Amino acid sequence: MQRTPRSRLGRVAGALAALAVVAAACSSGTKAASPAASPAASPTASPAGPKMTVGFIMVGNRNDYGYNQAVYTASQAVAKAMPDVKVLTADNVPENTSVTQTMQSMVDAGAKVIFATSYGYFSYALAFAQSHPSVTVLHQGGYQTGAFPPNFGTYWGEAYEPVSLGGMAAGMVTKSGKLGFVYAFPISQTIANIDAFELGAQATDPAAKTYLVNTSSWCDPLKQKEAAAALLAQGVDVLTQHQDCQATVIEAAKAAGKYVVGYHYDARSLDPSGWLTGSAWNWAPVYTDILKTIAAGQFTGSRYNANWVGTFANGDNPLQPASFGTSVTPSMQAKILAAYDALKKPGASVFEGPVTCQNGTVLFAAGVSPTYAQINGINCLVKGVVGTLPGS
Amino acid sequence: MPARLRRFDGWRRLCAALLVYLGALALFSVVVALKGGNPFSVWSTMVRSTVLAGPTLQETLLRAVPIALAALAVAVPARAGLVNVGGEGQLIVGAVAATGAGVAIGASVPGPVSWLVMAVAGAGAGAAWAGLAGLLRTALGANEAVTTLLLNFVANDIMLYLIYQLWKDPKGSGQPESRPLVHAAQLPRLWGSQLNIAVLVTVAVAAAMWWLLRHTGWGFALRVVGGNPEAARRSGLPVRRLLLSSMLVGGALAGLGGMLNFAGLELRLRPDITLSFGYIAFLASWLGRHQPVKVVGAALLFSAIALSGNGLQLTDGLDGSIVDVLLALIVAAPLVLTKRRRGAFL
Amino acid sequence: MNGVQQALIGGIEGGTAILLPALGELVGQRAGVVNLGTEGCMLAGALAAFAVAAVTGDTWLGVGAGLLAGAACGLFHAWLVVRRRADQLASGLVVWFAALGITSVFGTGYIGRTATPLATLSVPWLSHLPAVGPILFRHDALVYAGYVLVGAVWFVLFRTRVGLVLRAVGERPAVVAAAGGHPQLVQMTAVIVGAGIAGVGGAQLSVGYVGNWFNDMTNGYGFVAVAVVLFACWRPAGVLAGSYLFGVALAAASVLQAHGVAVNQYLLDALPYAITLVALVVVARRGGAKAPEALTAALTNGAA
Repeated sequence: MQRTPRSRLGRVAGALAALAVVAAACSSGTKAASPAASPAASPTASPAGPKMTVGFIMVGNRNDYGYNQAVYTASQAVAKAMPDVKVLTADNVPENTSVTQTMQSMVDAGAKVIFATSYGYFSYALAFAQSHPSVTVLHQGGYQTGAFPPNFGTYWGEAYEPVSLGGMAAGMVTKSGKLGFVYAFPISQTIANIDAFELGAQATDPAAKTYLVNTSSWCDPLKQKEAAAALLAQGVDVLTQHQDCQATVIEAAKAAGKYVVGYHYDARSLDPSGWLTGSAWNWAPVYTDILKTIAAGQFTGSRYNANWVGTFANGDNPLQPASFGTSVTPSMQAKILAAYDALKKPGASVFEGPVTCQNGTVLFAAGVSPTYAQINGINCLVKGVVGTLPGS
Repeated sequence: MPARLRRFDGWRRLCAALLVYLGALALFSVVVALKGGNPFSVWSTMVRSTVLAGPTLQETLLRAVPIALAALAVAVPARAGLVNVGGEGQLIVGAVAATGAGVAIGASVPGPVSWLVMAVAGAGAGAAWAGLAGLLRTALGANEAVTTLLLNFVANDIMLYLIYQLWKDPKGSGQPESRPLVHAAQLPRLWGSQLNIAVLVTVAVAAAMWWLLRHTGWGFALRVVGGNPEAARRSGLPVRRLLLSSMLVGGALAGLGGMLNFAGLELRLRPDITLSFGYIAFLASWLGRHQPVKVVGAALLFSAIALSGNGLQLTDGLDGSIVDVLLALIVAAPLVLTKRRRGAFL
Repeated sequence: MNGVQQALIGGIEGGTAILLPALGELVGQRAGVVNLGTEGCMLAGALAAFAVAAVTGDTWLGVGAGLLAGAACGLFHAWLVVRRRADQLASGLVVWFAALGITSVFGTGYIGRTATPLATLSVPWLSHLPAVGPILFRHDALVYAGYVLVGAVWFVLFRTRVGLVLRAVGERPAVVAAAGGHPQLVQMTAVIVGAGIAGVGGAQLSVGYVGNWFNDMTNGYGFVAVAVVLFACWRPAGVLAGSYLFGVALAAASVLQAHGVAVNQYLLDALPYAITLVALVVVARRGGAKAPEALTAALTNGAA
């Protein structure tokens, strides 16, 4: 039976190993001789070499017309704006120890600062910061506060405020009074976004209802399509979503001749007439400011060495309203922009009481303007949302 | 065939093998070049970014742990002629059981106790999962290649069900994940490095499997069954029991792999915990001809290839997924070479 | 429209992306070759279809490209297992990883773009039948292609000489060879045609149903397709039933939620696999004689 010569494979493996070692030796030899030939010393490097190497890690594809593309675009803007910064990027890195390995590779490649830009990277990023004191690690998604090591921070924006503006647009155009929200996971930021969207919609159509379907994935086109189809069959005429990639939901709305409110990235070009508006991340100013803080040696103890949240009130919310589509008339736009201006006043929030949960309990009493921490602690869906959170 | 000719044949085969492997590597270089990469420098990038840098070498070793154990889980039943495509599912149930045990008792007992309990739970769950397929095969004749494949999906759904509902961390981030393993229950690190004891356990287990398969009556009996089950039956070997035992042992190894990956590295149960390790392991076992030492070597190679995607992205600006192509080509090479004699025809 | 109807409609749309590759896999398995790389061939078909559709604007040209890409993928597998006698399962996984890598690398530029999906065609008269009309007869053309293909595959396999030879190769290739036939040629053809159909299944996903491309978008449906063939005991009607069963289970999770019903998706998701397992055991108990013999040989580890 065992006619296959075992030794052959062994010999081949041996030969291969030898080959690999020789190749490595040769190439490292040539590298030392002529650094210009290696891609590591790319033409962007100034003779003195860049002062700071920065790595950006993304969970999805950099061209997803969504969350990850927003990160990638901003990382390239940083590279352009700060000539002495060398930018490394890695995308499609899943939320498990792969991210630790990618961070390690970046450090090996000289990175002193790492932006771990997916929500689920938090624990890996924190652990990595603890074991690599000389590297500054930043997590994008900011939901946890507490005593951070001196080289770690997390950041985010008051996402729900711009999301509520999208809800207003949805409330203005809906005929059925039914809006659809496709989301990935019931994380606190998503719950806040769902509630804010519904509250925004109620501002323009008090009877508007938001129907929920979750996909349990930051990007799974088939599940998104099925979710969108189920919602459209339910009579929904405006779709919105909270996943990383948004082309599927936009395409589903477009095919059905319905409207869509975007999230993460301005994807108006995919369907200019169906696109109402949305919210889009503008991370470059945040990245730049953080890098300047680090370059000045002032990171430890700074506001970024904690849970930093950009807000409209401070004028530094990284999530900004996206452009309007052709179906949103100038008078509608004016109304939305007025609400936008109102949200810029300190203490203003779409969650200003009274806000009630689905089951009728009071979430925020009349006159209460909740804090960011309170809003991120919401674990109920507001009245007008149809659906339940899985696992609750 | 005269000896001289046979030797000539051997040399011809070796040359063919070399050519095929070089062809596989060349083909990968072509893909790299098509994507605008430098087809020559990628190799040094890959070697430098996976084994030559100390910290990354540690990551390579750590990732090889679940792949190697799941690959051994393929190798042991393969000795008896069984096909275990269920490494993925067995890794998952191992991690699930270890999570259940570790989260429940981790805070209240000393570390070594929870390590032991988690290991037993993980290995037991893996053995049960593979044993189910083994039982379906020996008692009912259901093809184990198919049942193990299906059980992968069931295992994944069970894990997702648990971390979405029953085991969801109430204080967590809202994403589906279990509560974290407390520090005392985490596997101890080695010499202050990133490595943990899982690496040593894997080496020890692989050595033990080598010895068991090679130097015990059980290992010999498995080979006999794998070679010719009918002859084995006639010579009075308990074929069914041997087949089942190979699946149980294999499953236990993969379950242990899932436990080590959880308790040493991941520390929480999350949806992405396996990442196709089980399928990569199947190929690793295949590349290593189901012989423990070579299988572990292949697992190490695949771990390095998977990790080299980082270097390729960072240094050469390539898409990290390109390493899947290399992995496929490396295994395709021996597939091209085998003129395996199989059963009925030609 | 009620929820049951919605789930059935979604089940048929989504289930078609399982039905097509499963029919292709049925053809291959009847000839004695299992292709675990079906998942990869679907990916190849999905990307090729989307890329061509996005570039040319012609969706049907895209579907054709999907067919060809799937067939090319099948050629790779067929060459390895039939000509080189490689292990079928290992070769299938190799095909999967190769396709996964290549489609990820070459598909990056297409992510986030949209292509005009295939139009929904209502079948005259039939689509107005009460209850079943909207469920069965208001879909894109590839869904109807699935209906037709089930019948066609059945007819070819069981009512033509070609089918007879193909099934004979799947049972006793040596006999076919002795009778002057060419079992290798038959197997190669069966695998390539099967993978081509799987490629169309991928196209149904990218340009038929979803309307865009994402890396690894088949998300395991190719593996499900392989399982469905076993669930079906290698019969076209069973493949049809199994595929739609999976499709409905997937769609039901979304539909239930859209109706405000709390559901644990994962127990629902696990159900079809569990049913398949039970079906396998039942088949095995009845003797398991229906499995093509050459296939059984291929799934047994010969070398060690």
